[in-house]
Amino acid sequence: MTIHATRRHLLQTAGLGLAAVPLMVARPSFAQSSGKTYKIALSNSYIGNKWRLEMENVFKAALAMDPFKTEVVGSIYNSGNDVSKQSQQMSNMIAERVDAIVIDAASPTALNGIIHQATSRGILVVSFDSGVTAPSAIKVNISQYDLGKGWAEWIVKQINGQGNVIMVTGVAGTEVDLDRNKGADSVWAQHPGIKVVNRFTGMWDSSTAERNTAAVLPSLPKIDAIWCQGGTDGVLKAFISANRPLPPTAGEAENGFRKMMLGIGGHTVTGYSAGSPPYLSLMALELARRILNGTYPKKNIDVPNVFLSNADLKLGVNVFADQPDSFFDDFTAGGPTSPVDICAQAAIDGSACTDQKLIINLPAA
Amino acid sequence: MTIAAVEAVDIGKAYGGVAALTKASFTAQAGEVHALVGENGAGKSTLIKIMGGRVRPDSGEIRIGGQAVSLNGPQAAHHLGAWTVFQELTLLPWMTVAENLLLQQEPRSSLGLISRQATLRDADALLARYGVMHIDPRALVEDISLAERQTVEIVRAVSHAPKILFLDEPTSSLVEREVEWLFGQIRRLREQGCSIVFTSHRWAEIRSIADRITIFRGGADVGTFTDIDEDEAVRLMTGRRVEALYPPLTPRPAAAPVMLEARSLSGPNLRQVSFALHQGEVLGVGGLAGHGHRELFRTVFGDAHASGGTLTVQGKEKKFRSPRAAIASGIALVPEDRKTEGLLLRMSVRDNASLAILKRLTRFGILKPQEERRAAQHVVDSLRVRTAGIGLAVGALSGGNQQKVLLGRWLETECQILLLYDVTRGVDVATKHEIYELVASLARSGHAILFYSSDAEELAHLCHRVLVMREGVVAAELHAPGITAEDIVSAAVRDHRAA
Amino acid sequence: MPIPETILAASGPRRSRLSHALTQNIGLALVVALLVACIILYCGLYIATQHRLPGGYELTSTLNNTMPLAFAALAQTLVVLTRGIDLSVGGVIDLTNAVAALTLMGGPVSTTIWTIAILGIGALCGLLNGVLVAVGRLQPILVTLSTLSIFQGIAIKILPQPGGAMPPGFTGVLANPNVPLSLIYIPLIGILWAIFRRTRLGVSVFAIGNDAMAASSHGISVKRTTILAYMLGGVASACAGLFLAANATAGDATTGDTYTLTSIVAAVLGGVSLFGGRGSGLGALFGAFVTVMVVNILFFAHIDPLYQTFYEGLFLLAAVIAANVIGQIVRRRR
Repeated sequence: MTIHATRRHLLQTAGLGLAAVPLMVARPSFAQSSGKTYKIALSNSYIGNKWRLEMENVFKAALAMDPFKTEVVGSIYNSGNDVSKQSQQMSNMIAERVDAIVIDAASPTALNGIIHQATSRGILVVSFDSGVTAPSAIKVNISQYDLGKGWAEWIVKQINGQGNVIMVTGVAGTEVDLDRNKGADSVWAQHPGIKVVNRFTGMWDSSTAERNTAAVLPSLPKIDAIWCQGGTDGVLKAFISANRPLPPTAGEAENGFRKMMLGIGGHTVTGYSAGSPPYLSLMALELARRILNGTYPKKNIDVPNVFLSNADLKLGVNVFADQPDSFFDDFTAGGPTSPVDICAQAAIDGSACTDQKLIINLPAA
Repeated sequence: MTIAAVEAVDIGKAYGGVAALTKASFTAQAGEVHALVGENGAGKSTLIKIMGGRVRPDSGEIRIGGQAVSLNGPQAAHHLGAWTVFQELTLLPWMTVAENLLLQQEPRSSLGLISRQATLRDADALLARYGVMHIDPRALVEDISLAERQTVEIVRAVSHAPKILFLDEPTSSLVEREVEWLFGQIRRLREQGCSIVFTSHRWAEIRSIADRITIFRGGADVGTFTDIDEDEAVRLMTGRRVEALYPPLTPRPAAAPVMLEARSLSGPNLRQVSFALHQGEVLGVGGLAGHGHRELFRTVFGDAHASGGTLTVQGKEKKFRSPRAAIASGIALVPEDRKTEGLLLRMSVRDNASLAILKRLTRFGILKPQEERRAAQHVVDSLRVRTAGIGLAVGALSGGNQQKVLLGRWLETECQILLLYDVTRGVDVATKHEIYELVASLARSGHAILFYSSDAEELAHLCHRVLVMREGVVAAELHAPGITAEDIVSAAVRDHRAA
Repeated sequence: MPIPETILAASGPRRSRLSHALTQNIGLALVVALLVACIILYCGLYIATQHRLPGGYELTSTLNNTMPLAFAALAQTLVVLTRGIDLSVGGVIDLTNAVAALTLMGGPVSTTIWTIAILGIGALCGLLNGVLVAVGRLQPILVTLSTLSIFQGIAIKILPQPGGAMPPGFTGVLANPNVPLSLIYIPLIGILWAIFRRTRLGVSVFAIGNDAMAASSHGISVKRTTILAYMLGGVASACAGLFLAANATAGDATTGDTYTLTSIVAAVLGGVSLFGGRGSGLGALFGAFVTVMVVNILFFAHIDPLYQTFYEGLFLLAAVIAANVIGQIVRRRR
């Protein structure tokens, strides 16, 4: 039901968007932005999944909210995972003489040349999510290692250091997958009572995770806990289909997983939910603004991981009954003291929040 | 005793179990023009392909200058001084005439690179040397006519000063003047001691140029003759007498309705052409090549757009935007160049036969195989197509049989108006006879037929009326009975301003 | 000299040399026109939004960003002309890019030697493709799809983590960020292409793309020509890998992937026929620049990010349709 409603909604917005966007959008260009102080552009490698969409939506919404509304003229570019296109777009940003470029990169190294060109022209480059190796770029990220470790530590506590665990990993060969697994393995190594009975990939995708779980489940003994990098709701659905009880599960921040943590849909799971938050783009944007106006030192920041247990979940705040299972609930950390607080509407369609202020708390300098 | 320039001894070749040649032999001397004649399917083209090094024989021996040779490619033949103009031309379509003429022997500049200027200059000189002034060496082969391509191919072969020259149906796409030119070249080569072996279906040409004739039938030679009349030759080839070649002309019913009417049709190379085609009528269109026949047929078939005039089909005015629309109105076209325009050579006889009636053979877009097979078998049976089966690729059939499949495809559509464009070009006597019979019986059964032919004799015997076209206009209209080939030719060449 | 008995006289004046040149190089003429149109549109948008003219930086960065694609399109053209297709272009770029990241770190001598070795790797990749296609008589699309995976696999094996740092001299020569050195490379490619077109190999490549059977009956070795075309294509792909590494200043074994598709787009935009035998490397080069100019145009048009790819597709489609229509008109008017 919800999926259908959303798809229709998306189609409608897309249709309206196409009709409304003439080839050349008369948007205020940088050159005319005399009242505003900074020009900041987001260079995103691709927009092929829900996470990237939410990441871009909150960025777009933030640009229409204070403090960015008055201080920043922003723009957003996608490059279809094509490095040379992203590089070309960034050189156009340099030509536009932006003050800062915020990037989610298509390659850790292939943009180093253009990043160097930007920074040597005095343009601030802040990378987040898919990071870059260029030393002159400022990096904003969570620790993937700590995330994997945090999930594992919670499991150890839940099952008192004794029991069978399955690990559902991510896309092999990526740095994120590697780091998360390393974090988990560091914990298992200290708890010989934990037995990882199977380790298979879920490709960070619900349906893949569900299929692969269903395939291995019949051969597995009783599972005491699930450690899952992504597609968590799919893994649990496979357990339900196999009439297995749902063990304590540490997983990503998918709405489907959190709904189960609240018991929506008839099955309840004890869970521990955290992930790479889409609001990393906001942290990067805020960092760029603060560095530019001199209120924050020019240094990398580690965004703290926010783990939520069943008790932390609130419908309409960090779980959404009317959003699809694939929606990432961690577009906001929730609450004025958390790293980021922004409304759901911003993540859904990129519109500015009407009833709340945007809060972004950078770690103490 | 002199050593023969080239000899084929008991050559045998089979394709997919069907024998094309069983025991084919001939001998040609130096300084001799030797014609190979026979029905389509008698194996002449296969023999030329073997002699040219393109096809390896299964058995038999080729001797050149008395030595047995093994030709493992056209190059091997070239080294022995034997050059071939195949029926399927070997020009490269998207390269210029000049590049084609000088392929693999391009003139180099001082830097060792191919010089375009010199290539053009040499090609121009080459064409001029052989009296070919009407072809621009800068033109792409794709953009010149079939006759011009044939001419270029002949020039290319002749330019290598061959000791032996094989020509497979060299005149089939040429008009009179070009044939004259070709014969001039052949005579010159003969004087130089070259041995020329060619195939043709045009008896008058064979008589005028050939020193000796070898007749083939069913994949083997029947005999070699220095002096043989047409009757005897046709009898040897087919066992049929030549008078019986054309079926008697049935007068068309006096009050037959008009099926197709053109009024002042104009377009490129077409000026104010008007005619009415009646039910049961064979309306001939004649004249020299390039005088608007092609454009007329294409316009009526919706493949070219008229700039003026009207077209009426069964009383209704039509403006065809595509051949599809013409087909929907019951008009079918059988084109001249069956290789490129009509048939899908790699597909089977069955597929080709059913192409025009796919709609009838399908239900919800899915082909009904048994109906398709039935329709294809009907074509094969009723037209006596010689094929090992309807699953065989059309490309493996002889030319005449390909033409029959193409004709048959349209007969299956049950269309009322047939446009036949030079359908007997390159077709042997026996198949010609079958096509004539077919045309006559189609007319009797009420079809209206617009019939263009480059063969005036054919028009004279087969048509109720003949429109002679010149420079895009209808220059004369001749009425049967009593049309002669001479009437048609003289109307075609007479200067209308002087008349 | 013999006097022919019958002369086939010309019926009218011949068409002018220019008219021939235009119709026979219509693909090239159209892509040049398209590129000029793109540049005008880009300049217009740039001036409208930036209130100044694009200058040296814009020129240099656009050139540097396009060179890898230009070489990839050239590689694709060489193979497509033989009536083949090379899906392994991206794989060769990945592989050579990865090798460059691992080896190019020493002084000028070692860098030069390794650069030549990397071009050799490209040639070997092409040799493998060419032999499989020409001798193995396999479909080019299947062969190169398989070798694409193989080359990608080797690339990721030897460079699992993106890295390396190109020597400044190497970047300075191939992708100098401050001086538009590529202005030298473009005419150089043009000259090399003109030379290639005037060698027997060049003519043979076109000839087998026209009609392999006819070409072979005139003594052209289809196998040899096919293999050499794939090899030259491999070298061009390796050039793309090197320019990409120079521009990035580092290596990544996966960044070449997108070039397989974009090289085909650039070649086709440049008037290269996928049916073989027609087209020019120069056209493909200009085609590459068109695709990059489209990115620039959409950038300065400030399109909503969600619809950027939509408009990019629309733009390319419109360009192809326009080129086709104009081409038809020119051919009809002959």
